[in-house]
Amino acid sequence: MKKAMGFLRDQGATHVLGVVRVGLGVLLFWEGLEDAQELMAHGYFGDHFHWPYLPEAWVPSRSVYVAILALQLLAAALVTVGHLARPALFFAGSSLVYLLACDRLHYHHHVYALACYAFLLAFSPCERSLAITSDGQDDGAIGPLWAIRLAQLQVSIVYLASGGSKLFDADWRDGLVLLDRLVRYGDQAVAKGVPQRVVAFFQHAGTASALAKLTIATELFLAVGLWLPRTRVAALFIGVWFHLAIEVTSKVGYFSWLTILVYALFATHDVRARTFFFDPSHPRGALSARAVRALDWLGRFQVKAWEPDELARAHHVVVVRRDGTRATGLRALAMVARCTPLLFPFWGPLALAASFTKGGDASAHS
Amino acid sequence: MLAPDMVDLSPGARAAFVAIWLLGQSALVLTAGRRADAAFGFRMFSESTTMTITLSREVRAPTGEGTVLVPVEDGRWVARDRDGLPHRFAWNDRVLDPVVGTLGLTMHAAYGGAAQLERLQAALDDVATHVPEDADTHALVADVVLQKNGREPQNLRLTSAPRTLPSGR
Repeated sequence: MKKAMGFLRDQGATHVLGVVRVGLGVLLFWEGLEDAQELMAHGYFGDHFHWPYLPEAWVPSRSVYVAILALQLLAAALVTVGHLARPALFFAGSSLVYLLACDRLHYHHHVYALACYAFLLAFSPCERSLAITSDGQDDGAIGPLWAIRLAQLQVSIVYLASGGSKLFDADWRDGLVLLDRLVRYGDQAVAKGVPQRVVAFFQHAGTASALAKLTIATELFLAVGLWLPRTRVAALFIGVWFHLAIEVTSKVGYFSWLTILVYALFATHDVRARTFFFDPSHPRGALSARAVRALDWLGRFQVKAWEPDELARAHHVVVVRRDGTRATGLRALAMVARCTPLLFPFWGPLALAASFTKGGDASAHS
Repeated sequence: MLAPDMVDLSPGARAAFVAIWLLGQSALVLTAGRRADAAFGFRMFSESTTMTITLSREVRAPTGEGTVLVPVEDGRWVARDRDGLPHRFAWNDRVLDPVVGTLGLTMHAAYGGAAQLERLQAALDDVATHVPEDADTHALVADVVLQKNGREPQNLRLTSAPRTLPSGR
């Protein structure tokens, strides 16, 4: 209990919160734009068949609805640039839930999930980094992380709810739901260039049943695996590919991108705890340093020019891990992939390949 | 909007907030099955169901005895008002939803068959109460072919709440 309550006082670097805030701002703006486009194309939803969860009297009039949409767009912009970001997140999350409650025809899991994460991030010090008003020296910013732990719990709640509901549904467990989708949309997959034989393989009842069980196991594993230090990176890797696969095969709005974005909250809340040393005299070293600086959105690396010594002479780059051990070659590349969002989908095979290399892990403390 | 410090909570308030949030989310997830659309319960891809809707109107039989069903072609119909003047009506004048607003085509029933049937019933009732110039239609009727998870199709009929028409119609 004491340990559980300890997270209410948990403190950490806020850099990653800024990254997630910017991403949420973009998604909030996208959501606002979609609603505005629907308003322009079809008019005010209250003029047509709508079905509120709330009493009809609580549904906003046309002018109030237009004002809410305008404020949502403004709030999204403020969230993105980091000015008054937390009140803006609070408003964005609350107003999204209010509008969902005004018409169940507009309910979508991805909109509700966005509202939840925006609302929770409002209670975190997410404006202390990557803000338009900051002086750019935000690496050292520290703040309370309790709301972030709650957002992480929300990720697990989503997986538990989704995986659990499938587990208790016989049609899902047996693969009937997946099989029907694979059969119905098989022609579309072939039209997009997927070989007929591959589609036919997935349309087999046994394959669909195995896929269904794998899906349920994946979702339940992610609910727990994201929390355990030993499984976290593997869970993030599996989760990223799980959502990319969903994104390619299904229409889920921006749910996949939203979930991958909030995965960043599971990164250790420190800044530049690893060092990426490079040989500035070698073009490949300098190029690698530029690439790492550009891709290191989560602030994982200090990038430093290396005075070549016995070890570095044979390498263009050396990564010093958080625990002081060194990695070079393929292992260094796997380390960079592990820490950079754009390269993270390649971390698994790189790490696997690196594990077979004899050299590359200098294992010497810096 | 709120001042930034209004979203900074004291440790005691944080504990209360966390407890309320977790209780609320748990309640929404655990009660999702009680809502046809399982809204706020994160039940992703809960079923693979299709539905095909055919719309009809229940009007007075030509013999004057009872009512008959008249098919609604392309979601449009013409009916007379109390004074006998004809008016045009269209399902999509009111119903813009991509699933229950689509007639005659097989659609994926997003959020499940039960959710879409509930929405269709609400749409029938809504349209029936928003065509006051239609003094011919006693009720709107939707025949639905529902196919859940690849099983045999089910045929269902939903009828709007009966409309009150001028006497003699």
